[in-house]
Amino acid sequence: MRDSPELLLYISLAFYLVASGLYLLSLRQSRVRNWAYYSLLGGFIAHAAAIGVRYSHAGYTPITNMHESLSFLVFCLAGFFIYLKTFYRASILGVIVSPVLSVLLIFAFSFSSEIRPLPPVLRSFWLPIHTIFAFVGNAVFLMGFLVSIIYLVAERHIKNKKSDSILPGLPPLEILDLMNYKCMSLGFPLLTVGIVTGSIWAEYAWGSYWNWDPKETWSLITWIVYAIMVHNRLAIGWRGRKTAYMMILGFTSILVTFVGVSFFVGGLHSYL
Amino acid sequence: MAVTNGRPGSASPNGRSRTERLLTFLGSVRFAIFLLSFIAATSILGTLIKQQASSEEYVSLFSEQGYAVIHIFGLDDVFHSWWFLLALVLFSLNLILCTVNRFTLFLKNRSSEALPKESYLSTLALTFFCQGTRLEEVQRLCRGYRAVLTSQQGVILEKGRFAQYGVFIIHTSILLILLGGLLGLMLGFKGSLNLPVGESADTITLRGGGEAARRSLDFSIRCVDFRVSFYENGQPKEFLSSLEVVENKRVVLKKDVRVNDPLTHRGISFYQATYGTDAAFEFVIGGKSVLLNEGGTFRQGSLALMVVRYAPSVHDFGPGVQVAYLDNGEPKAIWFLRDVPRLREQTIAGIPVKLERLTQQQYTGLEVTSDPGLWFVWCGFFLLMAGLYINFGFYHRRVYLIPRDNGVMVAGTSRKNREGFKREFERLKERIDA
Repeated sequence: MRDSPELLLYISLAFYLVASGLYLLSLRQSRVRNWAYYSLLGGFIAHAAAIGVRYSHAGYTPITNMHESLSFLVFCLAGFFIYLKTFYRASILGVIVSPVLSVLLIFAFSFSSEIRPLPPVLRSFWLPIHTIFAFVGNAVFLMGFLVSIIYLVAERHIKNKKSDSILPGLPPLEILDLMNYKCMSLGFPLLTVGIVTGSIWAEYAWGSYWNWDPKETWSLITWIVYAIMVHNRLAIGWRGRKTAYMMILGFTSILVTFVGVSFFVGGLHSYL
Repeated sequence: MAVTNGRPGSASPNGRSRTERLLTFLGSVRFAIFLLSFIAATSILGTLIKQQASSEEYVSLFSEQGYAVIHIFGLDDVFHSWWFLLALVLFSLNLILCTVNRFTLFLKNRSSEALPKESYLSTLALTFFCQGTRLEEVQRLCRGYRAVLTSQQGVILEKGRFAQYGVFIIHTSILLILLGGLLGLMLGFKGSLNLPVGESADTITLRGGGEAARRSLDFSIRCVDFRVSFYENGQPKEFLSSLEVVENKRVVLKKDVRVNDPLTHRGISFYQATYGTDAAFEFVIGGKSVLLNEGGTFRQGSLALMVVRYAPSVHDFGPGVQVAYLDNGEPKAIWFLRDVPRLREQTIAGIPVKLERLTQQQYTGLEVTSDPGLWFVWCGFFLLMAGLYINFGFYHRRVYLIPRDNGVMVAGTSRKNREGFKREFERLKERIDA
């Protein structure tokens, strides 16, 4: 029984990998696209079970180290893709999203997946609140990042008048821009709640809601990048390519916050 | 245009005074983006260069000249440097000006509602004409819409008006958070206190101020008990201190303080941060047992002594404790050696003093802070989240109904969530057509 969360996670990875293959195949045979989606859905369900079982084994919300947070990020990205597909008929995104899910989950397995006892500072009800908001936000912005890359590639193809693009059936640019807007208007509040709840937690745990520790500082930098993007879009009226570049810059900052700080800088947040 | 500073010649060719143009610039979105970029860029420096380290550390990392540059520009403490604070002050100013400008414009537009010109309506993407209906009937089908203006020439309907307040709430909340931060910086303090079990203290050590920076409290705090529990693998699971707040020799507050659960009294909070053990020395002075730490003092009548230091081995005679005392006002020091009977018990000012035993004393490491700005920050956080929810969860849209000879012209517009509004507008069209 001890290994069941891991087993479930491997099953979910298998589903994601099958989905990746089928989505790729669907570029030639669009019939299989539904099967690709069902496979991804199966992966998502197995993943939910894996997280649930891990929660009951560990006795705490399993978002406390690199393995767990990457796994949770993948889970959120899969969930957000399912949401987008349901409301925006954006099934073609699966071609990009499913390999990203697979690669990130494989990356998660490269870190120790052992269930470790929780250090005293993490024993708090703020742990689930802070980490869930932060990672749902990260996943939404990861989607925004992927959408932005697709946007830039698609725009280039249209400019060069290569109508036979690498991704046939790609949604029109306005739809991609719209998804980008959706990611911004969901991601920015989520990121803010993530930072605010982390800040409240820090006040209770360390006696200071803001320490300028590298993780905090980088999350502020990330917030500023996205805040600039929000203002460029809502107040100045940027669209399309410029916001796509901002999305990519913002996600780079998230990467530094999430991975870079833990590996290279250290500080209060390095729970690897 | 009025020339606000009244001096002749200060008006620019386009008729606006310098002050006015300066204020416009200071309150502009472009200036906000410049300041935010500056704050972000310098924050990156603050995470790349080690902050608040000793000068020796910088010299070894960056060489003598490198450290000189770092020190001149305050890069060793970016987040407390004058230019970083200046950027934050300018940003606050920008936010105030920008928000006030927008809000007055918002109120002005509110008070002077008028139907837009035909030429404007024809530019709107969402319009349709419905033949053979009356305006009242169309208005009835616009569910959830409120009439802003009703006239012979037409009707303005709107929905989600409160969503427009979101941006003002968000900006105010950011100002509150910055104000709270400033108050904390000016009026608050951060310190620490290592409190041995069974002892009490009424002063704490301030952070970053060296040994001399101490601050006394208006009360004393006593550590009654300290407990640690461990996981099977030996990792600490939880540690907690039973603390008592004593005022005028009366216990006024008791609490078990653990990680993530501090004690607060008179605006001063005590957080469980660490724990450890200190060397402690049990003396018997005039028949009475006294436990002293390094630096600990004892006073009784004419006797005043202080433990100067502990040495694990004094000239191969085993462990010893150096004690300083006043001999007729003259400071003197002697060693008490545990393993040398003659030096274990000595007489100071006529009173026999004996080093009974060397022991370890457990202490609890508390973080002590006071932050009068905290509630501003908390309110700011709450407003920030509420404002974001309003701003991104809802949107303001308008529908114009213009009566024509044989029907009604319907036009819709929204600044945000255009796609969502387009769908809503299409549904409205279907409803009216049916």
